[in-house]
Amino acid sequence: MIVMDRGRIGLVALVVLSLAGCAQETKVTRVDSGVVTDLSGRWNDTDSRMVAESMVKEALEYPWLNTFSGSKHRQPVVVVGTIQNSSHEHINVNTFVADLERELTNSQKVTFVAGKGDREELRTERKEQAMYAREDTQKAPGKEIGADYMMKGTIATILDEADGTKAVFYQVDLQMVDLESNAKVWFGQKKIKKVVEKKRSIF
Amino acid sequence: MSLLASRPTALVPARWGFFISTQSLFAVLAFVLLAGCGPSVNRYLLIEASLRAHDPKGADAIVAAAEKDYGSKSRVLYGMDRGMTLQLAGDYQQSNAVLEQAEEELDRLYTRRIRTETLAFMTNDTALPYEGDPYEQVLINVLKALNYAVLGQWQDALVEARRIDHRLNVLSDRTKEKNAYRDDGFARYLSGILYESTGDVNNAFIAYRKAYETFDATRAWSHTAVPSQLREDLLRTAEALHFTQELAEYQSVFPGTRWETSQSLQQLAQVVVISYNGRAPRKEDQFLDLPISLDALQLVLLNRGFSQSNRYSNRGVDTVLYGLNGRVVRVALPRLVSQKSHVPVDRVSLIPDDNGTRVTLNTELVHNVTALADKALAERMAGITAKALARAATKFALAEGTTRGAQQAAGKDAAPWVGLLVGLLTKGLSVASEEADKRSWQTLPDEIHLARVWVPPGRYQVQNRFVGESHDPLKPEAMRTLFLRPGETAVLIQRVMP
Repeated sequence: MIVMDRGRIGLVALVVLSLAGCAQETKVTRVDSGVVTDLSGRWNDTDSRMVAESMVKEALEYPWLNTFSGSKHRQPVVVVGTIQNSSHEHINVNTFVADLERELTNSQKVTFVAGKGDREELRTERKEQAMYAREDTQKAPGKEIGADYMMKGTIATILDEADGTKAVFYQVDLQMVDLESNAKVWFGQKKIKKVVEKKRSIF
Repeated sequence: MSLLASRPTALVPARWGFFISTQSLFAVLAFVLLAGCGPSVNRYLLIEASLRAHDPKGADAIVAAAEKDYGSKSRVLYGMDRGMTLQLAGDYQQSNAVLEQAEEELDRLYTRRIRTETLAFMTNDTALPYEGDPYEQVLINVLKALNYAVLGQWQDALVEARRIDHRLNVLSDRTKEKNAYRDDGFARYLSGILYESTGDVNNAFIAYRKAYETFDATRAWSHTAVPSQLREDLLRTAEALHFTQELAEYQSVFPGTRWETSQSLQQLAQVVVISYNGRAPRKEDQFLDLPISLDALQLVLLNRGFSQSNRYSNRGVDTVLYGLNGRVVRVALPRLVSQKSHVPVDRVSLIPDDNGTRVTLNTELVHNVTALADKALAERMAGITAKALARAATKFALAEGTTRGAQQAAGKDAAPWVGLLVGLLTKGLSVASEEADKRSWQTLPDEIHLARVWVPPGRYQVQNRFVGESHDPLKPEAMRTLFLRPGETAVLIQRVMP
């Protein structure tokens, strides 16, 4: 009888263990897009948003905007150049640039024109219009707005790691360069530092 | 393995004139044997056959189909194997996605689970999640860098170069022993090529210098000489950066090396050939049967005498024999079986479309995977052996305890029989469950060769042929077309299976 009982206990234990192993299921919780979700320590949406927001704020506060509007009596036209990723991660620079463009455009103080990649597509469309579209709806070439400034930048990281603790330092540099004189009219910088600690062992 | 190993269970009664009527016992034994034997039909043989038939897509399909067989403990290994076959099949994006997953998983594995470690201690090391040797981990980034370079995504290729640098820095901080694998000549060299191709000459020079130092320092065990191309690269970049002191130093170290200046190469296009030659080494079980009585010694010797004739089919016999005897402790250790390729040099020809002069590249050895695997296993062997012995002792003690306990519980009359049965089961189990961790990144080649050359821009036909192979115009992938613009770099990847 004792043997039987033991067997039964063992069986129950086995069932509990195997059930515990199966208990993982997908769980989805909706959170506000502003909530900070630091999961792996890598560059994430929070970083992208934080940097874009603070950079835009900074860019609009500086006098280059007013100087330009004052002398030319119109909004400056800006084109986005390359944002170089010289970090340790495959950062999607496009979402970051989109964040920047949106914020700046919505501020109603700057006009953005399409960047290099988009321009190609638009020109092809115009060429095709010239061939296939009704004449009164065709858009003529040679009417693009030339940009006054180009926004360029880099995202760089410095990494230090030992014994499961990693310090990641992100530095995002953005600069507004005058396309006529190559003068840098604005220089924005944002730094983020994270410390990621990994435990060596858990149960 | 399991197919071979399970067969002898049926033979046992006939061979030894010994019969146990309990059918369930055999069922349990068969289960134990099958569980202990790990991955069955060797998928790597099928992959090799596909690669040899110039069917990398077929090889990739084999790995993809085996995803479940890899199991949750070998996610990283699956990513490594698949990343390689996808690269060979030309699906560079997917290869990167799979390798990225493997790298993330690797990151998570830094945290060890005590539960898993304990389980592995009670059974064998294959119950541990596969992390790969450091040289394999570095190669994940190397493969990704190559994928991005082939795709023309140079910024992303450079991200991988930076990750390689970081990984190697952490590794060399962690590895105290000077002669161990703590830096990677090939990975550094490739990083240098990537930096130079994107115009970052300063970083390229630093990478070349580190590569040179590593090749030089590890020559004794890596069996890889400093590539002659690397000497030219060092001299060229030192000159381009006006590092006069370094230039003079390297000129005195490599007398007679002829090189072109950076300026003269500016209007040319670059071709980098990466050639994966042969097959990576595999691992085998090496069983040490330690008898702890005179009887057992005789049994082991007798059994070894039999096993000479047929080495692979006697695992089941061992299990039953040693389980019955109960005085043999089995320890399994991994052993490396190299599968050296015999390709001294690959020859790749670039035939210009405008009837210009044909350019022939001779690749040279830059990465000896077999030597690295050998070194990695040698470095870990002391640890593996100590753990295996401790495990064997624990298993034996547990089996002995269980047998005695069962004998007492069964009472006086049934004790010998129950003891025999329980002993056979528990001790057989500990013998059968003993298995070395034989996992390794086996879709890797035996050696990686490299060649780089600068050619006038234009359209080229690429022809690959390795020395000694007769020209076979019908061979698929024998011809490829390249269109090169000035300053552009093309990366060609090929797999050579002799």
